[in-house]
Amino acid sequence: MTAIATDDALVTLSPRRRRVIKTLDIVGLIATLVTLLGAIIWAFPLYWGLITTLKVENDIVQPGIDLWPRRFSLEAYTHVLFNTKIGTWYINSLATALGTTFLVVFIGALSGYAISQLNFPGRRILWWLILASFMIPIPALIVNHYVLMANFKLINTWMGVILPQLIAPVTVIIYKQFFDSVPKEFREAAKIDGANELQLFFRLYLPMNWGITTALAIIAFIGAWNNFLWPFLAVTKEQAMNVTVGITQVTDAFGVKYARDLGAAMLAGLPVAIMYLIFQRRVTQAIMLTAGIKG
Amino acid sequence: MGTVDLQHVTKRYGNVEVITDLSLKIEEGSFTALLGPSGCGKSTLLRMIAGLEEITIGSCFIDGVDQTETPPSKRGTAMVFQSYALYPHMTVRQNIAFSLSLAHASRQVQAQQVERVSKMLQLDQLLDRRPAQLSGGQRQRVAIGRALVRDPKVFLFDEPLSNLDAALRSQMRVELAKLHQDVKTTMIYVTHDQVEAMTLADKIVVLDKGVISQQGSPLELYNQPANKFVASFIGSPAMNFIAAELGSKNGNAYTVTLPGGHSASIATRGGTASGNSVDVGVRPEHLRLGAAGAAGTSFDGKVGIVEQLGNSTLLYVDTPAGTLIVEAEGNLKVAVGDSVGLTLDPSRSHLFGADGKVI
Amino acid sequence: MAVSDASGATTGVARKSSRYNWSEVIVAALFVLPFIVVYGVIFVWPTIQMVWLSLHNAPLIGPGKWVGFDNYVKLFKDRLFSVAFWNTAYFVLLTVVPSTILGLLIALGINRLKGWAQSAILACFFIPHILPVSVVFRIWGWMFDSQFGILQYPIEAITGDHLPVFRTLPLFMPTVAWITIWWGVGFNILLFIAGLRNISPEIYEASELDGATRWQQFSRITWPLIWPVTVLVLTIQLILQFKIFDQVYLFGNGGRVDATMTLVQMIFRNAFQKNMGGYGATVAVVLFAIIVIFSVLQYQLLRARGGEK
Repeated sequence: MTAIATDDALVTLSPRRRRVIKTLDIVGLIATLVTLLGAIIWAFPLYWGLITTLKVENDIVQPGIDLWPRRFSLEAYTHVLFNTKIGTWYINSLATALGTTFLVVFIGALSGYAISQLNFPGRRILWWLILASFMIPIPALIVNHYVLMANFKLINTWMGVILPQLIAPVTVIIYKQFFDSVPKEFREAAKIDGANELQLFFRLYLPMNWGITTALAIIAFIGAWNNFLWPFLAVTKEQAMNVTVGITQVTDAFGVKYARDLGAAMLAGLPVAIMYLIFQRRVTQAIMLTAGIKG
Repeated sequence: MGTVDLQHVTKRYGNVEVITDLSLKIEEGSFTALLGPSGCGKSTLLRMIAGLEEITIGSCFIDGVDQTETPPSKRGTAMVFQSYALYPHMTVRQNIAFSLSLAHASRQVQAQQVERVSKMLQLDQLLDRRPAQLSGGQRQRVAIGRALVRDPKVFLFDEPLSNLDAALRSQMRVELAKLHQDVKTTMIYVTHDQVEAMTLADKIVVLDKGVISQQGSPLELYNQPANKFVASFIGSPAMNFIAAELGSKNGNAYTVTLPGGHSASIATRGGTASGNSVDVGVRPEHLRLGAAGAAGTSFDGKVGIVEQLGNSTLLYVDTPAGTLIVEAEGNLKVAVGDSVGLTLDPSRSHLFGADGKVI
Repeated sequence: MAVSDASGATTGVARKSSRYNWSEVIVAALFVLPFIVVYGVIFVWPTIQMVWLSLHNAPLIGPGKWVGFDNYVKLFKDRLFSVAFWNTAYFVLLTVVPSTILGLLIALGINRLKGWAQSAILACFFIPHILPVSVVFRIWGWMFDSQFGILQYPIEAITGDHLPVFRTLPLFMPTVAWITIWWGVGFNILLFIAGLRNISPEIYEASELDGATRWQQFSRITWPLIWPVTVLVLTIQLILQFKIFDQVYLFGNGGRVDATMTLVQMIFRNAFQKNMGGYGATVAVVLFAIIVIFSVLQYQLLRARGGEK
C-alpha cells in the first residue's frame, strides 16, 4: 500500500523533486548500513565472548585475532560444570527467581483484581499508595533489608533473597489496568452462571489475561535472575549464592582462566537469553508495559 | 412456571431516577419485548429482573417468590448479552458447560447437557472451537446455548441481534421465534428495533423515560397507540402528525379543520378534547393518493422526493401541513414536482391532545 | 444503553449501591492482604527503620546510641561523600543523555527496516539488555583485558602500549559508562520504536506530498511527536543510573575503590564493610531523598505530557 501511494506521489512531483528523492534514498541506504554496522558492533562482544569459551586455553593467549577457534574445546564448560559450585548456584538462582516470580505475579494479580473489580473501604487510598511507591529507590533500603532479614534469621537462605525482591507495584498497576479493560458483561454473565468471587478471579479474569500474566512472569523471572545487589548482600556463604553472584565472587585459585570465566558467564546468561529468544514478543510487551507504554 | 411480576419498581443512580414507580406483570410462556429508545430504562429494567442491578424501591417476584434480594445465579433466569460475553479463553463446549462446572456437576451430566443444547442449536460441529473462530450468528447461538443449558424459568435477551448484519438478523429472528415455540419458556426481550419487537413478541411494553408508555399486543400498539410517543415509535416510516383545529363533535367523532382549509371527521376513542387544537396522526399507508383538487381530498401538495422501494413507493409530499410521507403502490408512475391530492382515511386516523395522549 | 452504563463505567466496578457489600469486602481483604503484609514488612517498616537508624551511631546489627543529626553533619563534611556524589553525577551525565540519543538514532534506523531483518537487528541491540550484570562484566572484562583483550590492539595502536583501562582513573568512568550504554540502550530503542510506530504512516505520506525533505520530516514531524517518549526515556534512565552500583563495583573491585565510589557503593561500604549501620543508613536516606525528588519530577513531567493530549 505504502509503495503504491509513494509512486502516486512521485507522479505529481517535478523532475527536480524526483531527483532529490533519489539522492535521499541513498541517504536512507547509508542509514541502513550504519544501523547494520551498529548491530555488528553490539553483537560482537557477545560473539567474541562465546567463541572464546570454545577455544583451547593456550590458543586464547596467543597473539592475533582468531574469529574462529583453531581447535574446538568444551573444556571450559566441562570444567565449570564439574569443578565449581555452579550447579548449586544454578539451583539457588532458579529457586529464588521462580519463587520471586510466583509471589510477585500472584500478589500483584490478587491485589490488582481487588482494586479493579471489588468495592471495599480504603480502595482509593491503597491505589494511591501503590502509585506513590513507584518512586521507591530499592537500593536505598539495602541496609534495613539486611537488618530485617538478619532478624528473621534469613541471611544465606532462599527466602532471605526472595522477600526484599517482592516490591513490585508496577505489577499491581498493570494487572489493574488489564482487569479494568475486561468488559463488565463477562463478570455479569459469570455471575448469572453462578460464579463466586474466587471463581470469577481464577476461572475468568486470570485465564482471560494469561497473556499479560505470562509477560509479567517472564519479565519478573528475568529481573530476579539478573538481580545482583541484593543476592550479593544477602548471601555470604558460597553454597547459598546465586549464579550471577557466584561467578563474580568466587574465582579460580589457580590464576585467571579466560575460557572458564567466560564459560561460567555464558551459563549464567543462558536461561534469560533463551527465554528472550523464545518469548521475544512477550518480553518486549512486558518491558513497554512496565515503562508505562501500552505495547 | 415463569411469571415475572414487578411491583412499584424505582431505580435511582444517585439523584438520577431511571425507572419511576413501574409495575409490570409478565405471563408464563409469553414472549415480551421491552421496546424504547436509548436511555428509556429498558435495559436497566431487564438487568433488575436478572439481579445485576439492585432495585432501589419496589420488588421483583419470579413465579410468585420475592427475588428482590436474590443473587443473579439463584433466580432461575438466564441472560443473553448484547455483546454475547462469550468467555474468549474457553471452547464452545466449555462456554456452554461453564455454569454446570461452577456448580460442580459431574462430567457426565455436563456432557449430556452440552449435547442436548448443542443439538437443539446445531452447534454439535463447533463444540471445540473458540469464540474467536465463530461467525456472528454462531456466537449468538452459543450465547443462547449457554442460557439454555441452565434450564431457566425466564430467558432475558438484551438487544441480542444488534451486533449482526441485516440478513443474519432476520434469520436469527426466525430462529428465536422457533426456539420460543420449542421451549415455551417465558422470554423477555429488550430492543430498540420495533421490527424485532413486532415480529417476535406476543406482548410489547413500550418504555419512555422510565415509565411504561403502553403495553399490549403488537397490533394493538400499531392500531391503537395510546399516545404520540408510541404512535411515532411504532411503524416505519413513522406516522405523520398534522396540527389541526378542532371543530364540532358529532357523537363519537370530531370534525377538524386541516391546514389548507379542508376538513375531516375523525372518530375518537371515547375521549373528550380540551382546548381547540389537536394533532391528527395518520400512517403513510393510510394516506390515499389522488388527483390534485379531486373531491374529498384532504390536502393538495407537490411531490418533493420519490423513493422507489420496489414493493412500495414512498412519496414525500409538500403540503400546507408540512411534508407528509405517503406509502403508495410499487409501480407508481409519479415524478418530482407533480401536483397530487392526498386523502386521509378517517377510520385509521388518530387524534392526539395537547398532552400527547390519544383522544 | 446510556443509562445503565452510567452506573459503573466511571469506576470500572459493577457497583450495586453506595454502601459496601460485606461479603465482597471480605473477599477484597483476603485478596489485598498478601500485598499489604509484604509492603508493610518489606517497604514501610524498613523505610521507617532507615530514618531511625540514621539518627543512631549503630553497627549494622545491634543497638546504637542516639546521636540526632550528627551523622548528617558528618556526612556533609565527609570528603568521600562528595566524591561519591560527583562520581554518581558524572556517571549519570555520561550515560543518560548519550544512551537516549543513541537509542533514538538506532530506533530510527531499525524502524526503516521490515520483517525479519528488523527483528534480527533489534535482537542484536536488545539481547545485552536482558543479560545479568555479571555476564556483561565478564564479557567486557575480557574485551578490555590488559594482556589479551581484543581491544588492546586498537589501544596499542593509539597509545603505543597495553592499557589497564579499569585501573586508569580518567578512563574508568567513561569506559564503565560505555559498557552501561551497550548494556542498556536496547531498552531505550524498544520504547522509541514503540513511539515511532504510533506515528501514522499517512502523516509521512501527506508531508511528502507537501514537499517535505527527509530532514524536515524528522524535525517537523518525528521529533515533536517522539518528544514525549524522549522525556520518558530520559527520566527512567536518570533514576536508574542514579542507583548505579553493580558495574562500578565489579569493574572497580581491587582498584582504587575510594576514587571510583558511587552513592549506593558508599552505603555498602559503610554499612556492610565498615559495620557502620547508622552512617550507612544516613547515606541511604540522602539517596532516597534525591531519587524521590527526581521521581516526583518525572511524575510531574509525565502528567504535563498527559495534560497536553
